[in-house]
Amino acid sequence: MVWRKRSTQDFAEEIKAHLELEADDLKQEGLSEDEARWQARRAFGNVRAAQERFYLKNRWAWWDKLLRDLRYGLRSMCQSPGFTVAAILTLALGVGANTAVFSVMNAVLLRSLPIANPQQVVYLHTSNAPRGTGTIDDKETLSYPVYDALRRQPDVLSDVIAIAGLSTDKVNVRIGAQPETAEGDMVSGNFFSALGVELARGRGFTSQEETDHALTTVISYSYWTRRFSRDPNVLGNTLYVKGVPFTVVGVTAEGFEGTEAGQSMDFWIPLQNRVEFNVLGNPPEKGELYQQDPTWWCLRLMGRLAPGVSREQAILRLQKVFQTAAYVGLGSPMAGEKPPVLSFADAKNFPGYDGMYGKPLRMLMAMVVLVLLIALTNVVMLLMARNAARQREFSLRLALGARRGELLRQLLTESLLLVVAAGALAWGFAQLATRMLGRWALIESSLAPDKTVLLFTLAVLAFAAVLFGLAPFRVAIAGGAELALKTSAATSSADAGKTRTGKTIVALQMALCLVLLVGGALLLRTLRNLENIPLGMQTDGLVVFGLNPQGLHPEAKLVSFYQEVQRRLRVLPGVESVTVMQARLGSWWSNNNNVMVDGKDPDAGKGKPTLVRSNDIGPDFFHTLGVPVVLGREFTDADNASSPYVAIVNELFAQRFLPNQNPLGHQVNGLVIVGVVKNHKYRSMDEEPIPMAWWDYAQAPEEGQMHVEMRVRGDAMAILPEVRKVVAQMDPDLPLIQPMLQRKQFERTISQQLMFARLGEFFGLLAVVLVATGLYGTLAYRVNMRTAEIGVRMAVGARRGQVVWMILKDSLMLTAIGVVIGVPLAMLVGHVLTSSLYGVTPWDAVSYLLAMAGVALVALAASAIPASRAANVDPLKALRSE
Amino acid sequence: MGRMTTQENNDDRIALLQGTLDLLILKTLVLGPCHGQGVARLIQRQSEEVFFVDHGSLYLALQRLEDKNWIRAKWGVSENNRKARFYSLTPKGREQLVEKTGEWRRLTRAMDLILESSKGPQGEEA
Repeated sequence: MVWRKRSTQDFAEEIKAHLELEADDLKQEGLSEDEARWQARRAFGNVRAAQERFYLKNRWAWWDKLLRDLRYGLRSMCQSPGFTVAAILTLALGVGANTAVFSVMNAVLLRSLPIANPQQVVYLHTSNAPRGTGTIDDKETLSYPVYDALRRQPDVLSDVIAIAGLSTDKVNVRIGAQPETAEGDMVSGNFFSALGVELARGRGFTSQEETDHALTTVISYSYWTRRFSRDPNVLGNTLYVKGVPFTVVGVTAEGFEGTEAGQSMDFWIPLQNRVEFNVLGNPPEKGELYQQDPTWWCLRLMGRLAPGVSREQAILRLQKVFQTAAYVGLGSPMAGEKPPVLSFADAKNFPGYDGMYGKPLRMLMAMVVLVLLIALTNVVMLLMARNAARQREFSLRLALGARRGELLRQLLTESLLLVVAAGALAWGFAQLATRMLGRWALIESSLAPDKTVLLFTLAVLAFAAVLFGLAPFRVAIAGGAELALKTSAATSSADAGKTRTGKTIVALQMALCLVLLVGGALLLRTLRNLENIPLGMQTDGLVVFGLNPQGLHPEAKLVSFYQEVQRRLRVLPGVESVTVMQARLGSWWSNNNNVMVDGKDPDAGKGKPTLVRSNDIGPDFFHTLGVPVVLGREFTDADNASSPYVAIVNELFAQRFLPNQNPLGHQVNGLVIVGVVKNHKYRSMDEEPIPMAWWDYAQAPEEGQMHVEMRVRGDAMAILPEVRKVVAQMDPDLPLIQPMLQRKQFERTISQQLMFARLGEFFGLLAVVLVATGLYGTLAYRVNMRTAEIGVRMAVGARRGQVVWMILKDSLMLTAIGVVIGVPLAMLVGHVLTSSLYGVTPWDAVSYLLAMAGVALVALAASAIPASRAANVDPLKALRSE
Repeated sequence: MGRMTTQENNDDRIALLQGTLDLLILKTLVLGPCHGQGVARLIQRQSEEVFFVDHGSLYLALQRLEDKNWIRAKWGVSENNRKARFYSLTPKGREQLVEKTGEWRRLTRAMDLILESSKGPQGEEA
């Protein structure tokens, strides 16, 4: 249709002209003036009707109707603000929670890296590293010789990309005068071209730059934004990394945050060959950098499959090459040693996160979907209750000539209003929740909702809008036009079929509520168990921080530096003891070594080399931690480079490798065991006990960075300002690295489980609140509808108690049905939850009892108020209201 | 209630008359430009007062034909010096007139054939 060119006034004028012309004609035919006018009008019929029909033909009519419906909808929403607020909030919470969790799931599990044809790109993993090697991750990092061998197979992998971290944490950089830290990777020259990363400015690296170890850098879009305020002239600027000047040659397109899971990279540089740029900043072993050292498996490798080569073919053709390259410089494999096996992993945005976050996230998703279901049924029930109360209004409208289609349109408009308001709120809520989830999960990369998430949310909202429009429609038209004539609320609403639907929904909600409560209870107990994991040490009063002094060579200087630090800290008031360690406890990091006990591999012939975790520690270590020394002694200030080399092991080490004998005096890697300590946690809170050995750092200083552990009386964090002063006296440029309570450090290792448990609890609680409000609304409404009936009952002699019991019985029956349906469902859910539980079985009776009690409590609370209100009905009033 | 029924019947009648009324309007305008009241009078007169045109429907039909660009309209002055909106046929309207007239002829012929047939339904079945 086209826009109407003609106004209604014009049409009205034409009609006026017609009437005059007709009257003229009639006058000529001999009628009087008045008679002619009257006849003309009569012949025309209803002028207003014609004008209205002309108006309705106008294409703007639908818009006008919509506006009218919107105004009407808004008015009726304002008339019941309680309902409106409850419905909008319920829906916003339900949809918002779904959007947030889906957003995280999308970012972590579904989204591919923002690169060209990500399905052709794979991460190269190995089953294990050969014996005698050191790794960053025993499956995901490979050696330089492997990289070099694989990139010579261009018909299988058209490109092999190497990525090496500059540090376990951020590295020191400088743009102007002020030193700061940033996250960066060292990458092969084909990194940007082979991955197909788009650049917002400048260019990526070339292979020549890798060969030349060029001093160029590409920075990320977010770093460009954050640090350079998107300066268009950023190219050519100098970024000092560890004091070495790099020229900025490019900026990546928005959205590319690098290839390290959960981290957001700030810059990339080509692979370097300087000592300070050895991978992770480790000192070169025997003077060899990562390129020459075949025992340092430190490179993450990615590959792009050559056209037409499938993953299976590629693995088949590369396996031999890989296994040969794996042993370059390591000698031939020992008899019975399992060779490493190459495998591929998808180029996901969060490689490897599927294992860690996959299950919890899917569980969380299932949970919020349940919450959404509850929220949706809640709003539907609220709507039905409200529209049942409006039944007379609808009947009146039908009686006045409204069509069913118009009523449906009205209801759909009202539902649209609700959904739009709730949707806007939900989106804001989801943005906030996503950020919080990211922080709790210690994920730096952006989890912000993208287009997929938006589509998901819109789909949910559209579904809700249609549901909310259609569900009450049935109720609205059920009365028909005749209802307007009836006078009794009781007679008009006592429709058996309708109450049955209502009862079914309430029972189902009870069941869902029970499922969520059981899940919540199981997770709550998991949370308690996690928080109470014995660490094997006294963490109260333990505070830890790192130091990384620069330029202290030779190693003896480093040792005396730390000795001096300890000496000065020990004399601070309130300090009980001080020690140092190389790997910080509870930070996931550990040194993994092959060990020889008394010159032999204790596990020889079992296929795999014996791995033992170890740490370099200072004197007074176990005393400071509060770990009991079972046999012998711990390191003292007397152990140093010139005294006999000593080691300490834990009980598990002794039991496994030196069973039924006194371990003291035996040798580990040529060091004499002088002490045995009780097992305690090392890398993380939820680890199983592992065989451990400790070396004295004074006898084997490796790198500059050490962590200082202090036991303090009173508030441990309060000592930090004093500590800063002491450290500044020794070196004014030395910051304390991540100072925190040792307890907090350990809790970070279970942050994922803690987060999941807390979220589970939160959603369980949310579901209970939703179910409670929904039940309250429904029950209150049903009691309301029975006011007349109750009045009659009381008038004929029913007692208060009887009335209350009548109401309560109703909801208790529904609760019972809900529990019967809910328990098997909950068991199913518990079974799926198994892997996320800690120290509690999925069939934990206490959790089930708690959940049942919870549901019963909700039902009672939601019925008690309406029931007592019903009992207070004044029979006369109830009857008179008819 | 009663009103609702009337309304629906009204709609039915318009739908039934629609095609016919359009054709009559087009036919009337072949003679030259004319205003709405004139069209109504002409139809009434030429049909020997058999058709009584509902004036409200007529104006809506005129509007519809104008929208379809079969006729066009212009404000002018009538023979007795009154302001009136004059309608005239467009080329597209002329084509439609020929086409609709043909259709109508076929329809009436077919109606005649059936109405004047002497055979009963039983005869056909046997």
